[in-house]
Amino acid sequence: MRSLADRARRCGPWLAVAPFLIVMAVGLVLPVVALAAGAFEGDSIKSSFSSGYRTAFWGSVKLSFVCAVLGAVAGVLVARAVLSGGALLRRLVLTASGVLANFGGVPLAFMFIATIGNAGVVTSLLRDWTGFDLGDSPFSLYQFGGLAVVYLYFLVPLMVIVIAPALDGVRAEWSEAAQNLGATRAQYWRHVGGPLLAPPVAAGALLLFCGSLSAFATAQAMVGGTVPLVTLQIANALSGNVSPDNAGVGAALAIEMIVLVAVVMAAYWTIERRTARWLR
Amino acid sequence: MTAVLTRPVEAPAVHRRKNATSIVVLIVAGVYFLVPLAAAIWFTVQDKVHGGVTGEYYTSIPRAEGFAGALRRSLSLAVLSVLGVLLVTVPAMLAVTLRLPRLRPLVEGLSLLPLVIPPIALVAGVRDMLALGPDQLAGTPFGDALVSSQDPELPIILVVVYIVLATPFAYRSLDAGIRAVDARTLVDAARGLGSSWFDVVWRVLLPNLRGAVLGAAFLTLGLVLGEYTIAGILLFETLPTWLVKISGANGQLSVSVSTASLLFTWLLLLVVSLADRRPTSRSER
Amino acid sequence: MSALGVRMLGIRRSFGAVHALDGLDLVIEPGELVALLGPSGCGKTTALRVLAGFETADAGTVRVGDRDITGLAPNKRDMGMVFQAFSLFPNLTAADNVAFGLRVRGVDGAARRKRAADLLELVGLGQAGRRYPHQLSGGQQQRVALARALAIEPRVLLLDEPLSALDAQVRVQLRDEIRRIQQRLGITTLFVTHDQGEALSVADRVGVMRAGSLEQLADPDTLYHRPATPFVGEFVGTMNRLPGVLGADGMVRVLGADRRVAEGSDAAPGDVVVLVRPEAMTLTASDGGTALVVVRTFHGALTRLSVRLGDGDEALVDLPSPAAAGIRPGDTVTVGVGEGSVLVAAADAAAPALRPV
Repeated sequence: MRSLADRARRCGPWLAVAPFLIVMAVGLVLPVVALAAGAFEGDSIKSSFSSGYRTAFWGSVKLSFVCAVLGAVAGVLVARAVLSGGALLRRLVLTASGVLANFGGVPLAFMFIATIGNAGVVTSLLRDWTGFDLGDSPFSLYQFGGLAVVYLYFLVPLMVIVIAPALDGVRAEWSEAAQNLGATRAQYWRHVGGPLLAPPVAAGALLLFCGSLSAFATAQAMVGGTVPLVTLQIANALSGNVSPDNAGVGAALAIEMIVLVAVVMAAYWTIERRTARWLR
Repeated sequence: MTAVLTRPVEAPAVHRRKNATSIVVLIVAGVYFLVPLAAAIWFTVQDKVHGGVTGEYYTSIPRAEGFAGALRRSLSLAVLSVLGVLLVTVPAMLAVTLRLPRLRPLVEGLSLLPLVIPPIALVAGVRDMLALGPDQLAGTPFGDALVSSQDPELPIILVVVYIVLATPFAYRSLDAGIRAVDARTLVDAARGLGSSWFDVVWRVLLPNLRGAVLGAAFLTLGLVLGEYTIAGILLFETLPTWLVKISGANGQLSVSVSTASLLFTWLLLLVVSLADRRPTSRSER
Repeated sequence: MSALGVRMLGIRRSFGAVHALDGLDLVIEPGELVALLGPSGCGKTTALRVLAGFETADAGTVRVGDRDITGLAPNKRDMGMVFQAFSLFPNLTAADNVAFGLRVRGVDGAARRKRAADLLELVGLGQAGRRYPHQLSGGQQQRVALARALAIEPRVLLLDEPLSALDAQVRVQLRDEIRRIQQRLGITTLFVTHDQGEALSVADRVGVMRAGSLEQLADPDTLYHRPATPFVGEFVGTMNRLPGVLGADGMVRVLGADRRVAEGSDAAPGDVVVLVRPEAMTLTASDGGTALVVVRTFHGALTRLSVRLGDGDEALVDLPSPAAAGIRPGDTVTVGVGEGSVLVAAADAAAPALRPV
């Protein structure tokens, strides 16, 4: 004989999980399914590999790769420098990194436009003080170089956060034990330090790659349509700037992006799980 | 843009040596991160007409056309999203931790999935899904819901998507909190003393999870106030999309609004990071 | 290869205002195992690190055999060190860890592997070579660490609280093994610990340190029965602190009897604290006694009685169990100090801050 209270008790947990599952279904699963449906319609997939879109894909990958490498190196350098300083500096930078890593999009773009854009403060200062006109240099805020500089603003802090625990996990006992056994610093890094830190650094770089690849708002606010990037192309397709029989190309591009990001994130998670074993 | 909140990092007891490279790196980093901020602020206080400084680009914000509406929409979306995230994730996580451990892989997997879907791709799918409302699903309750969720004054569809976007971070924050508090033991102790499930959750667990819950709330808040991709593609006017709209016409105003909202969001996130502090003493000797 | 001795003379090391080492003189004979014992902060670990080369002394010299190695870098000192924990390289297997020192010396692969296998066999882990540190228990990790330190045939073996992070049972087992191996190889060894039981059971000689210098360096027996200072007396083993009056004649009156003052005592005539071991106390049941038995604990051959004296002080008395047979908590007894000299300290001398484990 099941009382009402009894039945309520058994249903309780399921009722608690239900909203979560419903929201995820409507906000995530269904859109992705709709996307897949749209992507496989007609010739969309094929046309997403046409030269214009291929250029955009390649552009995104190139930019993301460069940003990942630069960001990873810079992030490791900054993390190392900070961790060797005092506790105050460390706390300050890690907190700031937590904030900056979540920063991006429109305000970031505007901030840089106001700094080194055509009418930017630093641009004007440079021109007035040294006669050097940023506009004449090969560097342009509105091209790949500029995007990379701007992306690093949130990528480097992200790398700092990701690599700091790993750097901390490198115990002093290891380098001391190595020295005690007769190794030089170079030998320590070659046999112990390097192999230990390579995976987390690689994982961080992969994360940065995904971050750059997925970025849209920053690029849109800064360069609009001038730089070939997949995210911008998708937005383009969504706003109807495509021929009618290529209606699904936006969806196709989106699905391809998801696949790429999924693969990279899978690699990231694999490496991350392995290093968690060693470092702490 | 992928953002990750990791567990707080404790300082090891062993002191590392400083050297010249570290100092150079810190100086370069300092310049790179602080100069643009200073420049942006300077940009917004310059009086190009009369020379000198002016605060007009800040004081004129409230009067700017469309600002009030955009702000109102962003704030209501933010509030709804925060409530939504908490009401959706907290019960689910507690249920999984305490009663339905077998669902954990599913819940955890779903909470990580948004990280794999770039927002621009997600919004493409959302748009396709919304198109079903007046089309194939016309007349069905779900179809009607889809249509009404796009009310420009209060787009519920955005709330739903924002909850999805915020879930990975909320999940991380809450998971860390639940682990730290050892929810299982607390629940057993409370139930052993005769407490009902409702009381256990309301009186025992939630007060102890306050830090994690606040963390999740602030992160969601920051996310929503700055979110441009979804709102922009779906053509809703929130603060960020309004910002881009006026940027062509009024450079200084758009930068001032953006700087103000930036500083505000930073403040929020700073509060999160500081509230997230746990006692840090790991002595090695 | 014959063993070499270690001489550390006049070592001083300060960190800001803290004098970690304040004129330390430590001599280790070839093939000897010396344990450095003391409360935390006494400088024992700093002393070991100065010997290893990880700390540079502000003053003083370090010699191994005939060589002055004071300024030598740690990776050139030819010493093997076992750290307290976490020192195995996590990305290398146990065998590779052990072979590491040989590898950086350019020993070829086959010879390395053989030696690593031999050493793992020596520490009882012959089958574990292929495992990674995270797959080994704490005790096993420390054995590998020991094998690794011994692989390079060091002239001095340094052990920095190697057992402190382990479970009690593993600790006892491993310390005996370390001692066995050390004696078999005849290797000069410095063993730092805060556990007096460990130090006394394992070492040829024990150095008790306090505030940066050695209070006494002697074999365990001497340390226990003839402590050089009240601090050593109280740090090693248990001591009762009894009120007494010291006369100018070298005799002290305690618990109603006069006893001669032992060497190492350190007090002016007047009210003093008399240090007496529980087994050196006498106790007889008597209805008119001034002391009251409070707690009775059975320890096999000995029974320990906690007794409250007439003036409120508490004392511990160890009796052979047959002698304590009839005595129960609540009985009144008479306690006294056995024959022989007693150690005396100044009345305001504080008890050692950290009771040894």
